[in-house]
Formats: sequence, structure tokens, C-alpha cells
Amino acid sequence: MANLNIDSEKNRTYDAIVIGSGISGGWSAKELCERGLKTLVLERGRDVQHIKDYPTTNMNPWEFEHRNEVTYQLKQDNPIASKCYAFQEATEQFFVKDQEHPYVQEKPFDWIRGYQVGGKSLLWARQTQRWSDFDFEGPARDGFAVDWPIRYADLKPWYDYVERFAGISGDKDGLPELPDGEFLPGYPLNVVEKYFKQTVESKYPERKLITARCAHISQPQPIHIQQGRTQCQNRTLCERGCPFGGYFSSNASTLPWAAKTGNMTLRPDAVVHSILYDEDKGKAIGVRVIDRNTKEEIDFYAKLIFVNAAAINTNLILLNSRSNRFPNGLGNDSDTLGKYVAFHNYSARIYAEYEGLLDFKTEGRNPAGGGYIPRFRNLYKQETDYLRGYAAGFGAYRSANSDRSGLGVDLKESLLNPQLGNWGVGSHMMGETIPKVDSYVALDSNQKDAWGVPLLKISIDYDDNDEKMKKDYLDTMEEMFTEAGFTNIRRDDRWQAPGLDIHEMGGVRMGNDAKTSMLNKWNQMHAVSNVFVTDGACMTSTSTQNPSLTYMAFSARSVDYAVQELKKGNI
Amino acid sequence: MIATSCSNDSKKASIELQNVDLSAEDEALLKQLVEAIIPETDSPGAAALNLHLFVMKMVDDCHSPEDQKSFLEGLKAASKISINNTDQALAYLQGLEKEDAFMRILKRRTIQGYLNSEYVMKNKLIYELVPGRYDGAVKINA
Repeated sequence: MANLNIDSEKNRTYDAIVIGSGISGGWSAKELCERGLKTLVLERGRDVQHIKDYPTTNMNPWEFEHRNEVTYQLKQDNPIASKCYAFQEATEQFFVKDQEHPYVQEKPFDWIRGYQVGGKSLLWARQTQRWSDFDFEGPARDGFAVDWPIRYADLKPWYDYVERFAGISGDKDGLPELPDGEFLPGYPLNVVEKYFKQTVESKYPERKLITARCAHISQPQPIHIQQGRTQCQNRTLCERGCPFGGYFSSNASTLPWAAKTGNMTLRPDAVVHSILYDEDKGKAIGVRVIDRNTKEEIDFYAKLIFVNAAAINTNLILLNSRSNRFPNGLGNDSDTLGKYVAFHNYSARIYAEYEGLLDFKTEGRNPAGGGYIPRFRNLYKQETDYLRGYAAGFGAYRSANSDRSGLGVDLKESLLNPQLGNWGVGSHMMGETIPKVDSYVALDSNQKDAWGVPLLKISIDYDDNDEKMKKDYLDTMEEMFTEAGFTNIRRDDRWQAPGLDIHEMGGVRMGNDAKTSMLNKWNQMHAVSNVFVTDGACMTSTSTQNPSLTYMAFSARSVDYAVQELKKGNI
Repeated sequence: MIATSCSNDSKKASIELQNVDLSAEDEALLKQLVEAIIPETDSPGAAALNLHLFVMKMVDDCHSPEDQKSFLEGLKAASKISINNTDQALAYLQGLEKEDAFMRILKRRTIQGYLNSEYVMKNKLIYELVPGRYDGAVKINA
């Protein structure tokens, strides 16, 4: 028996374990496997293989039973998931259903999750802007959170590296607040977006409107062809999974690449319970998993552990990894674990019409979605009564409409002969929020999920800073819309719960000081040298840029460091 | 299940429904009504495109119980009038209030089904699954 156990343990031992197969876990896996490490990738959900497991990807609208509408029952059963813009009849298979994975909302929080191989990388909005030193220096300059232990120069080569592989389209705009990258050709702004750009930039020289940078292959390079991916076909049906691999996902890109090395073992249906810590070694030795289907408990072992479970679930796993040495969660000497969680303020939009340029229309579909206004508020110095600022999306569209008031032959004629109307324009805000000690996630002391893992309590909220910023966004956009001659301006001062932005970050923050942060400048735990966190949980502050590209860069950089340290015998 | 009539002896509708109980007569009436909304001309109308079945499916799966109740009440009211052809159906619908809940649901779903039908999307207002292009400044020839 003893020998059998040893053999069995040997079979469950790898060089490295990656927890999670989403956008950051896929990168960790790829980088580890390429460096020759036998790597186990644990995914709590089912397997989703590129193309083969995209059941709706080539369906036409009439082939959907409900024409892509979510049924009443599905909506009733999923009040949270169904708030997400991407939750449709065509995509619902990639979203976590509310009832299957409950959590405790001490304050309203719409937690949107994708439990499958590839995670939310199948569903993301694919916007990829780099951070700059205006972001990394933010906490130190404005006196919140703790200073980032890195600057843009530390991350720049890794942005270059991941962009080349992932395929990022964009223009070189030469903006210090939004550094240029290794871009494929950008998707040009349409005629009204260009008009608004000219209006804004001539009237307000410090404000810019650029084409949105996104993870779409506008012009495939050999590295993309080698991945089996090809040019984006402008379908904009991305959330169904793309048969062309036109946008970046773990499923289309990093995971198959990692698999090709022969070093990856991918284990779906593996719910991570906790990370195992050995007090004598002073290191993590492995990961405890509960099989999703059989509920069997299995321990896996490795020298290196990368935690990429997605921001909030990474917090959950670390909080649940308790030992004598770390009674309040793995590596939590600073008592900051689960705290200083923040997100992006997406709670305002503004719409209008434009009655000019009516001799133009658009054809086809733009995967980039239009324009992007980088943060201009408080950039070089503090100038408003709130801290930080916001970026904004901007898009113009012109659709053909028909008069639907009639009945019979008149209605039919009208439906079959739609007329181009005015241009519609719209913008949404993406505001930086301030991480606070009282914005936290914690384990519920009583309730557990179906796999014996404590439920997570979430307590995250807006504050006055967010309210002031929102008002400024709406006032400022309204002013610019008016300046551009847009009409029928509608401010949409909606309230939406934190979480629906799907940019939750923090709880396991980076910092120079082990007394006030969890991770060092290499995303390595201050207190446990062989555990690395490179997903959204590591974020010290949130910036205004969509964060996924930064997680990719962190993952690649961190693996490079970890493997060097491992070889030197420091880990 | 909620129904337009309490009798059990009428023939069932041709498609299986979960929440609303519609009879073959209800289905026949809906066929007249949707055809009145979008009639056959030199191209197929709603009946030939089976939009009455689509309306039934959507009412059954995508509407609240309150909406379903309103729809069935409206259908029941229509069934008391003698509607034997498209003209009579059109006249009946034209007599309804603009805000009538039954009318609102019926018309909305008929239009949705029509615009998203294979026929229209392949022959009239062409849907492109794979556009393969984006041009943001197409000059319209007046």
C-alpha cells in the first residue's frame, strides 16, 4: 500500500500548477510549458475546446428558437447573469448560472463569471489599452492604497511580448497616457467618429479620441497563423466563440500553444479548495481539488503555483488556504488579503443624434467598436474636486429604420424598405475607483457551496468620489456633444451595481512593503516564495484602462522570473 | 398552464407549449391575425412563414405570466368575433386600441419573426453572418 501511495503521489506531482485557465491562467500555462516545466492547469468548469465546443458560432438568427432572446424563465432564474450585455440565447452556455454558484451580497455586487476552460476570455470585450506611469504612479501621487512596486518600464517589454502573440490592433497615437504597442493595423473610425474626434481635439487640445485598441487580428502575422488563427471576419459574434480565432482567447491561443509543447496537463472539473502549505518547508506544496462531478478530494503537488482563478475567486482560494502559520489565509501577514478591492465605474452613459454627414453610411461591422477617449482629467495635476478620472468609449452608428405604425400591406412595404435615419452616437464612462480597506471580500462563516468551500461575502460599494466623477463625465460629454452639434442628447445616469463592469480587481495587492501588501514586484507572495498571483487580484489600483492586457503581461513576466528563480534554487 | 377556454375536448395546437394552453382553433385564428399584420403580396406573408407558430412559441417562453394572461384574454375576445379571412382579421385588429396588450404582443412578435425569418434574411434584407469587412464612410449615391 505504501508504495502505491508513493506512486500515486508521484503521478499527482508536477513542476508547476496553474489555477485557472482564463485570460491570465492561459498565459501562465503557455509560458511555463514553453520553459519546459511539466504544468498542471486546473479549471473548475467543463472543457471547452476551440471551435468544437462553440455550438452556436455559425448559427443564423432564424436558427435560434427564440431569435437569440433569453427566455423569461432563464431571466427569472438568473437575475445577475442576465444583466450582462453579452448574456444571450447564443452565449448563455458560457455564463455561470446564479443558482449553481451562490454568494453573499453584503452590498449589491453583480458577479459575472465563466466557469469553463478559457473562462471569461471567451466572453470579454477585447479592449486592450496599456497602462502608463500616470496609472502606476497614481496611488503614490494622490495618496491612496500603496505605491505600485513597478513602473511602466518594468512592464513595457512584456506588453510588447504578449501583444505580438495575442494580436492587438490599434493606431500608434503617440500619447504618453496610453503608450503605443506592437500593433496590427487599427480599425478606422467611421465618418462621424472622425468628425467628433476633430471637434473634440480642436476645441480641447488636451483631449484625444483614438480608434479603440482591441485583441482582434486585423492582419494575421506568421505567429497567428502558427496558432491556427486567422484574420477577424468582422462578425462581431465574438462571445459565441470564434471559429476563425479572430480575437484572442485562451481557447484559441495560449492553451493549444501550451498543449503543443507536450508539457501541459489540463484538468477540467477541478474545483480548487485550497493551496496546501508545509510549515517545515515554509512553502506551498500543492493544491487541494474537489472533483466537480464526483466530489472526490484529490491533492496535487508542485514546486511552483500560479493563482489565476480570476480576481475574486483567487481571493476566495487564498482566504480558504488556512494553516497554523497563516490562520487568516495564505500569505496574509499584512492582513490585507481580501481588502482594497476595487472596480471600474461604468454607471453612466450618454446618447444623442447627429443630423450631419447624412450622405454617408457604414457597411460591415467594426470589431473594435469605435473610438476611445483616454483619461484627460487630473492627468498632469489634480484639477477637480474628485481624485483620478475616467476614460470613455465613443461610437457612432447609422441604422435603417421603418415606420411600424401601420398594418397589412403598408406595414409590410415599410418593413421591407427601411430608411436610413440620423446618426446615433453613444458613449459610456470607465472610471477609476479608489481601493478602500472597507471594500472587501471574506469567507462566510456558516454557508458552504456544493464542494464544501465556504461561500464568499462581497462588500464593495461606490463612494462620493465616484458620484462626483460620474457627474463630471456626464456634464463634460454633454458639453462636447453640444459643441459637435449633436441633438436629442440623453444622459443615462443609470445606477449599476459594482461587478457588472466585470473589472473587479485587488484583494491580493502588489506593494513594496510586506507589512501592507501581499505580493512583491514580481507578483510573488512576500510570505510564500513559490506562490504567484497574476490575475486581477494582484492589482494595487485600477486605472481606467481595461485590465486584461495588463494581466497577460504580468503573467508572462512573472513566469519568466519564477522559472529563473527556480533554476537558481531560490524557490 | 393557462388557456383561452376551460373545455378539454378541443384539439391541441400543433406545437408543444409549456405555459399557455392553445387549441387548434386558437392556432387557426392566430394564423389569420398574423397574416392580416403581414399579408402575402408578391412575397410570402406571415402565415406562409409560420409566424403564428413563432408568436405562440415566444408568448409561451419569453413573456411574463401577466403578459400571457393578457394575450390569452385578447385571443379569447377575438375568437368571439367571426373572423374567416384576412380582411376580417385586419378589420378586427384595426378596431383595437393602440395600447391593447394583446395587439402589442401579437404585432411585436409578428414583426420580429418576419424580420428574423430565413426568407426575409436571405431574400429581402440580407443578413451577413460573415461580413469580412468594415467601411465606416460609404458615400451614398443620391
